[in-house]
Amino acid sequence: MAALKPKEYRRNFERLGNIREIVFGIQDGVLTTAGVLAGLSGAVSVRSQVILAALASTIAGALSMGAGAYLGTHAETAVLRSELDRVRRESEEQPYVVQDSLIESLGKEGLTREAAYRVVKLLSSSKDVLFNTAEEKLYGLSGATFGNAMVDGFLMGVAFLIGALVPLVPFMLISSVHAGLVAGIATTAVTLFLVGYIFEGRFSNERRPALAGLRFLAIALSAAIIGYVAGVLIAPIGAVPVG
Amino acid sequence: MLKPGDAAPPFDLPCALEDKLGRMSLASITSDLVVLFFYPRDFSFICPTEVIGFHKARAAFAAESTTIVGVSVDDAETHRRWARELGGLAYPLLADEGGKVARAFGVLDEAEKVALRATFILDPKRIILYAVASPVNVGRSVGETLRVVRALRSGKLCPADWEPGTNVEPTDAKY
Repeated sequence: MAALKPKEYRRNFERLGNIREIVFGIQDGVLTTAGVLAGLSGAVSVRSQVILAALASTIAGALSMGAGAYLGTHAETAVLRSELDRVRRESEEQPYVVQDSLIESLGKEGLTREAAYRVVKLLSSSKDVLFNTAEEKLYGLSGATFGNAMVDGFLMGVAFLIGALVPLVPFMLISSVHAGLVAGIATTAVTLFLVGYIFEGRFSNERRPALAGLRFLAIALSAAIIGYVAGVLIAPIGAVPVG
Repeated sequence: MLKPGDAAPPFDLPCALEDKLGRMSLASITSDLVVLFFYPRDFSFICPTEVIGFHKARAAFAAESTTIVGVSVDDAETHRRWARELGGLAYPLLADEGGKVARAFGVLDEAEKVALRATFILDPKRIILYAVASPVNVGRSVGETLRVVRALRSGKLCPADWEPGTNVEPTDAKY
């Protein structure tokens, strides 16, 4: 494989920054829809009504999650940019504070103080270069820090939709409610395992990706089971006598 | 931090002076007054204007029989390279590695293990006549240090903003 150029590395890092939305969306879509199918299958006797309710939940969930990711990233980026502008104004008033902080930072990373001074002196020949470097090295900000609200929202919504289809499609294809539910839960478990296996195991070059898959499956299912048990426990509180 | 009236702690430290390495003790300084200024580190963007400022004003201080001495926690070789970087310095930079002298003067930042930006003026008996410390974002005024040296050497009661040649009667409201 040809070596990636720095600009491609950067794009690659920025793309990897969206893994959170994809994993979150798939996991939430899978579990929410499996939960809806399981819950409604016991309560509603007509299969088509269960499917309709699950479809409605899927569409609402995808839109809600997509909008939530968009709004969350948009707000976060606005706040970060505002804070960054404030820090930039302060830095321009006291550039020597930034310069000396950069010397300290480079020194901690292994450069001698003298070498760090010379590097910072060179960087200081351009105000923008100095402050951009400070933003990355001192404040931990980078291009990947500022998410793209549209991309985040789209990925989250689509990931939720794909995740939701995992238990829903077998349920729709199998005419028996019970068998469809079992197939939906099985595909849910397999999908959760695969998400962990691929994203945590393969992408991060973990030695035992299967373990990563099992860990992801266990955490996701634990959350679902705890949520189910909590629902069963609090159900009597909401039971209001009729008449 | 030591204050006017306190005896300056004696020192004998490695130093860099005019691109050479050596040692300097307080006892070896023969001038009437000594301006001892502490600064945090060599190869910094905060201190060089002061360090260069004292170099540029060296003749004026010499005319007042005053020796300028800079002190930081850097070693003497680093001082030498720093002085070169600044274009050469005609006064010694003392290597207070470990900050023993800075601590004795009460100007060592114990958290950062560097000296504060503090200036002391010592009399012929090496008693502190003047002591001041500056925050990191306010540079010291070499001109003000020189003004204080001249005022101290005038032997007069000097009012606010006194400058050489100022003739003020003891009843002047400026006192």
